Amino acid sequence: MRSPPVYPGVCPTADLGSKPVLDPPSRPARTPDADAAAISARSLRRVFKGGVEAVAAIDLTVDRGEIFGFLGPNGAGKTTTVRMLCTLLPPTSGSARVAGLDVAAAAAEVRRRIGVALQEIGLDPVQTGRELLELQCGLYGITGRRARSRAMELLELVGLTVAADRRTKTYSGGMKRRLDLATALVHAPEVLFLDEPTTGLDPASRMSIWEEVRRINAAGTTVFLTTQYLEEADQLCARLAIIDGGRIVAEGTPRQLKAEMGHDVVSVSLQGADVAATEAALRGLPGLQRTLAEPHALALYVEDGAGQVAEIVRRLDRERITVGAISVARPSLDDVFLRATGRRLEGRQEQAPTAEAAAG
Amino acid sequence: MTEILILGRRATREILRYPEATIPTLFIPVFFLAVNIGQVSKTFPSTTPFLRGQGYAAFQLPVSLMFAVATATSGLALVTEIDLGYFDKLLVAPIRRSSIIFGRLTADLVRGVGTSAIVLLVGLGFGVEIRTGLAGAVVIVILAALFGVAYAGFGILVALRTRNVQATQSSFLLFFPLLFLTPNFVPFNRLSPAMETLARINPISYVIVGTRSLVIDGWQPGRIAVCLGVIVGLGLLLTALSLRTIATYDR
Repeated sequence: MRSPPVYPGVCPTADLGSKPVLDPPSRPARTPDADAAAISARSLRRVFKGGVEAVAAIDLTVDRGEIFGFLGPNGAGKTTTVRMLCTLLPPTSGSARVAGLDVAAAAAEVRRRIGVALQEIGLDPVQTGRELLELQCGLYGITGRRARSRAMELLELVGLTVAADRRTKTYSGGMKRRLDLATALVHAPEVLFLDEPTTGLDPASRMSIWEEVRRINAAGTTVFLTTQYLEEADQLCARLAIIDGGRIVAEGTPRQLKAEMGHDVVSVSLQGADVAATEAALRGLPGLQRTLAEPHALALYVEDGAGQVAEIVRRLDRERITVGAISVARPSLDDVFLRATGRRLEGRQEQAPTAEAAAG
Repeated sequence: MTEILILGRRATREILRYPEATIPTLFIPVFFLAVNIGQVSKTFPSTTPFLRGQGYAAFQLPVSLMFAVATATSGLALVTEIDLGYFDKLLVAPIRRSSIIFGRLTADLVRGVGTSAIVLLVGLGFGVEIRTGLAGAVVIVILAALFGVAYAGFGILVALRTRNVQATQSSFLLFFPLLFLTPNFVPFNRLSPAMETLARINPISYVIVGTRSLVIDGWQPGRIAVCLGVIVGLGLLLTALSLRTIATYDR
């Protein structure tokens, strides 16, 4: 039997430690198969009124203890999938099990085992951070001194101790998101769903949320995270699935997905050179899989990119085309997305910043 | 039960922290009370038989009490919560969905007791004498507060069905025809035949008549029982509809 997660950096609560919030004996028996995965979905499908198919019979398996990314543009079906897995929305067909339990048949029990921070930050603006956490504790059966102690722990965990007694409507976006995350953790959930947890946040707040997610996961909580930020998926997720138009179009570890691309990306800075002429000059380059014209640059998807730089220079020189820098990079998740869907991920220009950029 | 108390305490705290949401619900009934008395007190002096020696304020007080407690405040709070996403947070918690509604109704009871007590005190300031004494005054406040709880179910129902702030806010307007198709200015027998028929089939009439009897006539168990019956019936109906709506919300 799995113990509730323990969050590092927080003094263990004597009360919570002696009496776990999720009382093991109350848990119904699980099948060995169901035990294997934190989340499993089979042909999970949701059709809304008017026949809009938001999620088209997807299959998913998320192992216990991993951070699983669900990457896709707006309207891809990420939130609908999360809402079905969280028991907020019944599937039109198919099935899903979370923490070993069927989301339709054992919805109430599933709710006891999951924590949820949805895309819209679910906070009551009239309450203070402390009141909201104590109230949330109460909804999970943690009351009195235990609730007060747990609220203090969580406020400390998400760095909101100083703002604990301010009403949440006075919090910044990052503070609200951190408090929302804390409310999802009051009962030490087995599985944590985070639906676009950093959307709309400034770089520093994003970094802070990433740190929290890593800490929570290190304590043993499985994290299912949806995002439209490639960098976020790359940084946080052990495995990810790319969803587009309600269908999963790629799945694997970020490294696997990039390796499967089988090419490098050579970016030729045009610096005023004609893109069509440049493209024509490089047509037939050995190992060239495709080209993509971008603003001020031409991207070449080519095997052994480093080995091809000399040939690229020779060809451009032969055609008297003057270009700027030529750089070689390994494929990104955006390249994976491009190959899977035929287009770039929306909001690419809003990608989550790198650690260096955020720190700066 | 614990869930209801927790959510009820939260909703009550909300009322206390947002007095600007409650003050207008007090202003309107007090305003109507003052204006109506000013307009017709000479027409209906204390010698008017149906006033039984009291001023017209005594006849109008129950109407103002109904105005004070019949609000869409809970519905508005709920629809705001739906907008903000906190409602989803409650739905995904391991609590009975009905607790969300009962929590809101608990706060309506507290608000109803507070606002009706204040309006009653204002009525006393206008020279109203409660013929049933202090015990009658307590019963009046309880009946008014319970009516507020019953009527709150309507706002909650509209909030859950429409998920729209404007629609929920407008739901309060329905109370105006319900309140004015009653013996609110004069007794049943002074109304025109058509108006009397409409007033007699309007259940709100019996809430006003029952409450008014405690102010003007003294203890009349039959009228109080009918008044309570209407309040309980209305409450059960609207709460049951709200419970069914929340149980099938997004399902």
